[in-house]
Order: sequence, then C-alpha cells, then structure tokens
Amino acid sequence: MTMQYSRPLTLDEATTLAARPDTVIMAGGTSVNAGGGSSGVTAVDLQALNLAGIESLGAFIRIGAMTRLQALVESDLVPFTLRDLARREAPSTIRNAATVGGTVGAADPESELLAGLLAFGAVVTLARVGSTTDHALDDILHDPGLISQAIMTSVTIPTTGVAAAERTGRTPMDRPIVMVVAHRGAAEAVRMAVTGVAHVPVVVDPERIKDLDPPSDFRGSPDYRRHLATVLADRVLTAVTESDPE
Amino acid sequence: MTITLTINGVEQILSCEPHESLRSVLRRAGYFSVRYGSSTGETGAAAVLVDGSLISADVMLGAQADGHDVETIEGLSTLGQLHPIQKAFIDSGAIQSGYSTPATILAAKALIDRNPRPTEDDVRDALSGILDRETGYLRPVHAVLRAAAVMRGEEPDDIAITHLDPLLDGGSDAASADRARVSEIAPRVVPCSDVPRTRVVGHAEPKVDAIKLVKGNPAFTDDVDLTGTLIAKVLYSPHAHARITSIDDSAARSLPGVHAVLHHGNVTQVRYASGGQSYPNPLPYDQVSFGDKVRYVGDRVAAVAADTEEIALSALDLIDVTYEVLPAVFDENEAILEGAPVIHDEPGMEGAHDPSRNIVHHLKADTGDIEEGFAAADRIFEQTYRVHQVQPAPIEPHVAIAAWDSDERLVITSSTQVPFHIRRMVAPLLGLPVKRIRIIKPRIGGGFGVKQELLIEDIVGHLTMATGRPVRLELTRAEEFVSSRTRHPQTITFKTGVDADGRLTAQEMRIIANTGAYGTHGLTVQLVSGLRGLSSYNSPVKRFDCKVAYTNIPVPGAYRGYGAPQALFALESHMEDIADALEMDPIEFRRLNWTKVGDPLDIAQQLSEGNQDASVMPIVTSSGLEEAVLQGQRAIGWERRNDPDWRQPEDRPNIRRGLGFAMAMHGTAIPGLDMGGASLKINDDGSFNLLVGATDLGTGSDTVLAQIAAEVVGATTSDVLVYASDTDMTPFDTGAYASSTTYISGMAVKRAAEQVRTQIIARAAEILKVDAASIDLYDRAAWVPDGRSVSLETIALSTLHQAGQHQIMATASHVSPESPPPYAAQFAEIEVDVETGQVTVIQLVMAVDCGVPINPITSAGQVEGGMVQALGYGHCEELAYDRDGRVVNPRFGPYKIYRADEMPRLEAILVQTMEPSGPFGAKAIAEIPKDGVAPAMRNAIANATGVRIANIPFTPERVWRALQEA
Repeated sequence: MTMQYSRPLTLDEATTLAARPDTVIMAGGTSVNAGGGSSGVTAVDLQALNLAGIESLGAFIRIGAMTRLQALVESDLVPFTLRDLARREAPSTIRNAATVGGTVGAADPESELLAGLLAFGAVVTLARVGSTTDHALDDILHDPGLISQAIMTSVTIPTTGVAAAERTGRTPMDRPIVMVVAHRGAAEAVRMAVTGVAHVPVVVDPERIKDLDPPSDFRGSPDYRRHLATVLADRVLTAVTESDPE
Repeated sequence: MTITLTINGVEQILSCEPHESLRSVLRRAGYFSVRYGSSTGETGAAAVLVDGSLISADVMLGAQADGHDVETIEGLSTLGQLHPIQKAFIDSGAIQSGYSTPATILAAKALIDRNPRPTEDDVRDALSGILDRETGYLRPVHAVLRAAAVMRGEEPDDIAITHLDPLLDGGSDAASADRARVSEIAPRVVPCSDVPRTRVVGHAEPKVDAIKLVKGNPAFTDDVDLTGTLIAKVLYSPHAHARITSIDDSAARSLPGVHAVLHHGNVTQVRYASGGQSYPNPLPYDQVSFGDKVRYVGDRVAAVAADTEEIALSALDLIDVTYEVLPAVFDENEAILEGAPVIHDEPGMEGAHDPSRNIVHHLKADTGDIEEGFAAADRIFEQTYRVHQVQPAPIEPHVAIAAWDSDERLVITSSTQVPFHIRRMVAPLLGLPVKRIRIIKPRIGGGFGVKQELLIEDIVGHLTMATGRPVRLELTRAEEFVSSRTRHPQTITFKTGVDADGRLTAQEMRIIANTGAYGTHGLTVQLVSGLRGLSSYNSPVKRFDCKVAYTNIPVPGAYRGYGAPQALFALESHMEDIADALEMDPIEFRRLNWTKVGDPLDIAQQLSEGNQDASVMPIVTSSGLEEAVLQGQRAIGWERRNDPDWRQPEDRPNIRRGLGFAMAMHGTAIPGLDMGGASLKINDDGSFNLLVGATDLGTGSDTVLAQIAAEVVGATTSDVLVYASDTDMTPFDTGAYASSTTYISGMAVKRAAEQVRTQIIARAAEILKVDAASIDLYDRAAWVPDGRSVSLETIALSTLHQAGQHQIMATASHVSPESPPPYAAQFAEIEVDVETGQVTVIQLVMAVDCGVPINPITSAGQVEGGMVQALGYGHCEELAYDRDGRVVNPRFGPYKIYRADEMPRLEAILVQTMEPSGPFGAKAIAEIPKDGVAPAMRNAIANATGVRIANIPFTPERVWRALQEA
C-alpha cells in the first residue's frame, strides 16, 4: 500500500489538494480507515483547519464540518432531537472521532443523524479553490458528485420548530431497520426523512409513503419496511403536530 | 513517516507507515494493552484516550495522532499503585478474560475526569463503544460507579455477599440482608444448611490474575513478540462448493518477502476431525489441512507466510486458483433429500453414516416402546421448531504462533481451550511425534467453545516447518465469523403424550441437525441435544432420533451450551404450549414432570459419550430447582403476568407486556471421560505453585482452583500461584469445555492439596510434638487445639532446608463417573410493540443451583454474562447469507450483540445445594445460563400477545409476521 498522508494547515491548501483526482478527504477517519485505505491516494486530514465548533446564528446554527459527534451530543445549541440522533449515530469510541462532515460524506443509508439533518433542511457549505457554495443536503445525497473535489466546511440548520423521531430495530441501540424523523419548522411545514427505504436517507412526503420501494436485507423485506415507514410516520407526525416547539 | 506522540506524558518520536493504524503504532512501541478486536472500530478493544477523549485506535491513523497526547492503561498505575478504577474493577468482579478491560477502564477514566458524578446511564453511554462478550456489562458499569464514589471520597455501595432466606418450606419472603445501600452486584446466595463452613471456598475472592489484566500487562498470545516472526494469511474459498482443478502459486512465491505458500499440492493430506476432544476423536475424519475440494464460502484453500501482513495479502492475490463450481445445499432438510449435491464424495470416507445422502450420523436412543407410551396418553402434542446459526464471537479472535525452540521442538503458543488435545491432534498433521511438540496456552481473551478446536495450529505449524521461522496467524473479525466455528442450526420436533393428570406418558425428540461442511463436533453436540431434551422431564418412555447433515454453510462446532440451548428452546416452548392447551399453570405443569432428586436420568445411559458403567442408572443427586423457581418468581414479580392492566398499559396503546419462564438443566462434565490433573508444591515462604492443565477462558477457574487448594492447605488464595497451562509443564487436562473445570479439575486440585496437607501436617506434628490427628490448617499455619501453631513458612523452610529435607508436593488427577445436573429457573420480562413487532427485553432473572459456588462473585458473573449471550441467541444475533452461501454480516453491528447502553436489567441468584460428588459441593455453572433465555423470551411474548413463535431469533419482522398471522 502506498497511501500518502497530508495535513493541510489552510483551507486554500486543502481545497488545492481536494481538486486533485487522487485524494481522499479524511474528517474523523472512522469510515475511511475502517475501509482499509487505498493504494495510490493521499488522505487529506482536515484536523488543522479549525472547522470544528457550533455557532449560533439566531434561528439557525452553523455546525463546523469537523465538529465531533460527541460535541453535538453535548451542545445546548443543538435541538434535542438531533443531539439524541448524534448519540445514536455511533458508540462512545467512535463519536469522539467521527464528525458531522464525515457523516454527510459517508452517506450511510442507515444514518439516523443524516436523516435528522435532512428533516431539518440542512444546508451544506462547500469550499473549492476560489469559491464557496451552499447546497441542500438533500441535493448532495442525491448527487454525491456535488461534493467531489470539495472541502465541506459547515452544515447549517434551523433551531426553531419541533421534531420527533421513531425507529424499529432489533435492540434499543441497533442501527434501525427503518427510522422516521420529522421536523415542523417555523412556517408550520412538516418535513419528514426516512432511513432504510432507499440507498440513502430520503425526504418523504407523508402522503406518498405507500409508494416507497425499499431495498431488502435479512433484517427487513420491502413490504415490512414500507409498513414500518407508515406506522412510524404516523407516530412522528402525531408527535410534531401535538407538541410545542423545543 | 515519523510522528510525535506524547504517550502517557512522555514525548516519543515514532516511525510509522502513512496508512498504519494508531493501534499498530502503539503495539509496535510496546503498548500491548491496545488490543485487536476488529480493524473497523466496532469492538473498542483498541480504545485509548487521545487528548483525553476515548477513541478506537484501530480506525485512527498513527499519522492522525501526530502531535497529540495519547493515554494507555500502562500510564494509569504507577509504582505498583492501582488507580481507584482498577481497584474497583477487581473488587466488583468486573473482569473476566480482561482482554478489553484496559479499554473499558480508560473509558471510565475519561468519563470520571469530565464528570465526577456520573449516573448509571452516563456510564453505560461511556462504555457503549466497548463490546463485552463476557460480563453482561453489569459489573463493569457498577465498578465505574463505585470508582467514581471512591474518587469523590464517598463510601461506595456494599458489595458483600447477600444471603437470601430460602422460600421453600415457608421461609420468609423478604431478603435477610439488613444493610444500607446494597449494590446490585452484591452476589445473592440462598444458603443451604448442609454446606459446611469454609474459610476460603464460598467467599468472593478477587481473581488471582486480576492485577495483570487490570493493568493491561502483556499476557495474551498476541503479546508474544518473537524476533523474525513471519505473518501468515489464509486464502479462503469464494465458492460454497467447488473442486480445485488447479493452483498456480508461482507468482506468489516469487513476490519478494514471501517465504512459503502452502496448499493441497505441497502439503501431505492427513485426514482428521478438528473438534478438540479426547482420544480417539469421534469419526468421521473428513478434513485435511489443505484439500482439493472446498465446501463452504470461507473454507481453506492456501496459506502464505511473509515478512509483513501487506506482502502476505498481496501474495494471496497472486495465487491463481481454478475452481470447478459445484451445486451447493445449505438447508439441513434439503441436504438429506435424494438428489442433493453430495458434499463428501472423497474416497476413503470412514465413519460417516451415509455420505451419499449427506447424513454424517443417524443417532437413535429409546427407553422402551414409545408407541405404548403414546397409546397411554389422553392427549398427544407435536410441534416443530427451528433454531439458527450464531457465532461465539470472543473479542480475542483465534491467534497462534509457532516457532522452533533450541532443541528443535515445535512450540505453538495458542489461544486454545484444549492445549493437550491440540498437541496430540496436530502431531500427525505435521508428521512430528507428540514429544517434539509443546503447546503453551497464555491468557485467553474469551473462548466460549469456539477455541475447543484444532483451527489454525496446523497452519502455523506447517508454515514454521516450511520456513524455519516463527509464524503468527491471527484471524480477522470477518474470518472469525466465517471461517472459525458456529452453533449448529437444527430443525427439532417434539412429540409428547400426556395423561389426564398432566403427567407425561411418552416423549419423543426428532432432530435434523446441520453440521455444515465438516463433522467436527457434529456427533457430540447432537448427543447433548438429546441428553438435555430428554433428561429434563420424567417420562416412562422416551425416544431420540437425530440425523446430522452435511451442508455448505460455515462449520458449526462447540459453543457454550453445546447442544442444550437448541434443545431447551424447543422443549421449553413445547412444554409451555402443552400447559396452555391443558389450561394448566405453566410452572405447575412442569413441576409435575421435572426431574427431582432420586429420579433416573435414563436416556443418559445411551447418549453419554463417556465410558459410563451401563449397569448403573445415573440419578439426580441434588437439585435446587424448586427453590430457584420461587426465588426467581419473587425477583421478577411473576404475579404481574395475570394482571391485564399491567400487560396492556393504558397510556401506550401499541405496547403489550409479558413475563415468561423456562426451566434449564445442564450437565457437569462428561462422565467417565473428562479428566483433570493438578500438581501442588510448597515454596520457602509457605506459598504454593499450583500447576494445572485446565484453561481459564476468563471464567475465573484459575481463581476457583486456587481457592480449593488454599482451603485444603490452610493458605490464602493469593498464596497459591496458578500456572496454566503448558503441555511441557503442567499435568494433563482435557481442557475447558463441558462445564467441567470446577468439578473435575477442582477435584484433582483438592486431591493433590489433600496429599500436600498430609505432608504439611506430618512436619507440623514433628515440630509441635503433637499427634498429627489433632492438627488443623488455616490462616497460613498449622494449629493445635491448645492454641499453639507453626506457620506454613516455618514448615516449608524446615522441609526444604533443615531436617529430613524433601519437597512437599503432590500430583493428582480426577475423573468422575457422574455428571450431576445443575438446574435453573430463567425468567424474562419483555414488551412487544404490536404495530412493528419490535421486542424490548426489560429484565432477565436467573436463579441457578450450581451446588456450592466456590466463588460467588465469579459465579454470578458467569450467570450474568451467559444470560446476555443467550439473549443475543434469542433476540438479535444471526449469521445471514446471500443465495450463494456467502455470509453478508461478518462484522459486529450487522451481526448484532448487545452493548452496555441497551441492556435489560439482570439478576443472578445462586441457590446452594450440596452436591456430594463435587469439590466442596460444587456443580457446574458455566453453560446453564445459555439455556433458558430464548424460551423464556418466547413464552413471555406468548404471555404478552398470545402469539407462539417456533423460530429464533425474535427479530421485529418475524414477530410482526407472527402477529399478522395470529
């Protein structure tokens, strides 16, 4: 294996490296390193870029891409539902390394946190050489090419409104077979995201749940996953409709 | 590249490869406490503190840690002083094998450093990343809470043994303990008046190996670091069933750094059975080290030894294998049908019942005319169950190192439960006489049966013989899941006749068992299924019929419980349903029929593998089951099961609650077969060396054996230095399996110690000038009734140096003609979400009669940890396959084992009985906790919902579908 390691000290340096075709962006490294690494690539470690931290912007917060999941769990600025989803995302040994940016980049189809960010309508900020752009998380998950050769700098979410999540798994902290999270924002619109029904977590119109075409594995058939999405959606919609804002 | 790490406060400049994990860097630098459990972060065995935060060092690059502070357990205790967390772990009985203990203690330290007053939930969350297959998490969690209290300067909760009043015969219904703040981990013991008073036995002594484990000292096979060691890697079959038509290894051999490439073309084919069992190993001998046919995805094809792991892996890629792919069969019922692919068609197959039909064994037993028994029944019930395939998954995988010693003998250091069997079994495969082989078993990081197997020792042996170099092979987590051993799946049918009073008139058990690609434990596991399935209840006539089938799934073998968890799931589901159909109370129906003291264990005469005297009918010699049931009922709140308001909570319309029961009965060692040896000698200071062949997997057996020796010779447990096991140094022992160590090896220790005691007393009598008969040994001295004494040290110095010099020592061994059954009452409380099928386990209680627990704290730990493994079996663990027979979930997570932050409440109650054939009254405890959880859960689901499920595990979709069909 001939992997190289690079730790850029500035965003410019990082975006220049990211523009090369042979780089892998490493946030916490828990996904990249678990994959065993690849020959002939340079791992670009973003730890020196000062991209960690949670900043309040009134009705929104901006979460630096290198913010550890554990920091999300512990932050009073983060809505409770998302804190809980960050806790469920990974156990203690991983949460101290894994990051919000890495979670977006890894695009795990069963990521509860990713579904939560989707429900909250997260906006992802990307830096490239000479430019910075904002994208809806939903768009990035449907078109992973959007983040290629870019450095993710932050994820922005609203902090107002109410949210709820429900899940079904084999055990209480198991990666859910299906999980549904909904957020009712200031404008009263409810946005719902679901895991376990597509190759990435997806935003689903509550009226169209029965149209889902979930994948199948040993934990759940397509029929069962569709049933779970329906039942759990009912529960979270009831919860966000009946609760007061956080 | 070079990196700078501040490790335990000392700045170090280290070289590392850019892709190298921090775990690898730290181990290379001598920090052996950072252990391998996986390379994907999932076990947490490699967790360290980086800048004070707990991080899995297997998913962090050494390069990422450059410039940071790293803390390992080696930095925690200085100058021999234990950190309060380390001390709390020892006091709480929180250590079993200790493999992941360093990581767990670091997790605790990081938590307490930030939050001196953690709640139990905080602790469970902090430990969530460190998987523990051994303790059930209860003791580690409470050890952390205890340490935090001590570090705050507070008095921790009381963890002394709690004696519960017996409830049988109208005993008081309240715990006798009148103490403030008794900890949840205080061992609960129901005493028995027949048990004599002892000074060391029966006490919650700290483990004899606790210090090295709590400090993370190098103690495990992986910590053996020999200069010039080559790394071995194995090429596995990508096909479920195929013939190897050619292998071209030339490119692999010419790769620089490759020292050997072995396969069927260059290794002599010697047939063997891989199960680590007594001589002669049961037939058939259906394996060779490397064959020309592969029989499951993950079967061995070739092995490589190279300078580095990367070169070895590259070499595997360069081995060009041509396969003729054959049709495969995975289901045991399909495998024995006419026309199924024949899995073992090799010439010279010996000892298989009918290999042309894939039937390895056809086992039959009966105790009379079964049809007469059914004819005498008022009602007959017949039900079929299916149990699935799970993997033992010790956090330390299989690992072995072979090397030539200076006498040109082959020394294999291996994480094995059966070092003596390995020596005997590997010799013919390597073409060496037994005397040229030495097997050393260091500390083991969990085994649970999967290391009762000749699994990799032949590979490292062959490679060392081919290269002349030390060779090390450690399975990866995925290899451990697929290519080691698993639990046998079975299709089980029970047919039972019952008379008008609810008594059994006949009971028949039929099994189609799946032994996968090879026979290994296929005979004996299924014998145990029959033994357990047909010994728990009295029936005038019984019949057992079992076909064991070859299939193309990864190989089942020994797994804690052996064939009992399968049998007891079916039996205890069946008995529950019969009681329901008869409208009898499920416990009363069982009580009418379960075996009691004096009852015959008639089927054992035909199904035991040992050399029993066929003219002697084995009988039950002790049973605490009645007491165990009462204790368990009280602990779980059994009366709630008939309360409709509790079962259907008003405020949670989708939830139904239920309570379930299962009785369990196990064996204690294989009668007439299992043998243990022990050797005890005194040292100058009155301490003793105890050499045993027994293998402590983390269970605490070394401690129990030390306690037995100490009790007899009047020493303290810490005066007994246990060495185990090494085929050159220690007496023979069959090894750690069949719940035998305390009962068999313990009796060997007791006998050796009794001889030593006699020798000590003889010298004491000379010194004190009294009659030997008046002397007693305790408190490290020999005492006479007038109060005079002479210390063991004085006696040792006298005999070694001063007069009539001789070594006080003795060796003894033991084999038992009996296998006294431990009994247990298992209770489960669950909730079912009837809309989704999700089952949540709220509480598990097991009250178990293990005779006299030699060490109540390690005994309770066995029950707690065993229940959690059993919970995985019933609830969430399963090996899943694609249609080609490839395991799709060979890693933790997708293969789901419980973690610290999602556990049900656990309670273990030890009900004492005095077993006459055991050392100080002991019976077994290691395996029985595996037997009752799945059926108790199943019966609880039935109590909650009315749905009776015939298959495990109780995953959400299975339960939901059952609810839909109801």
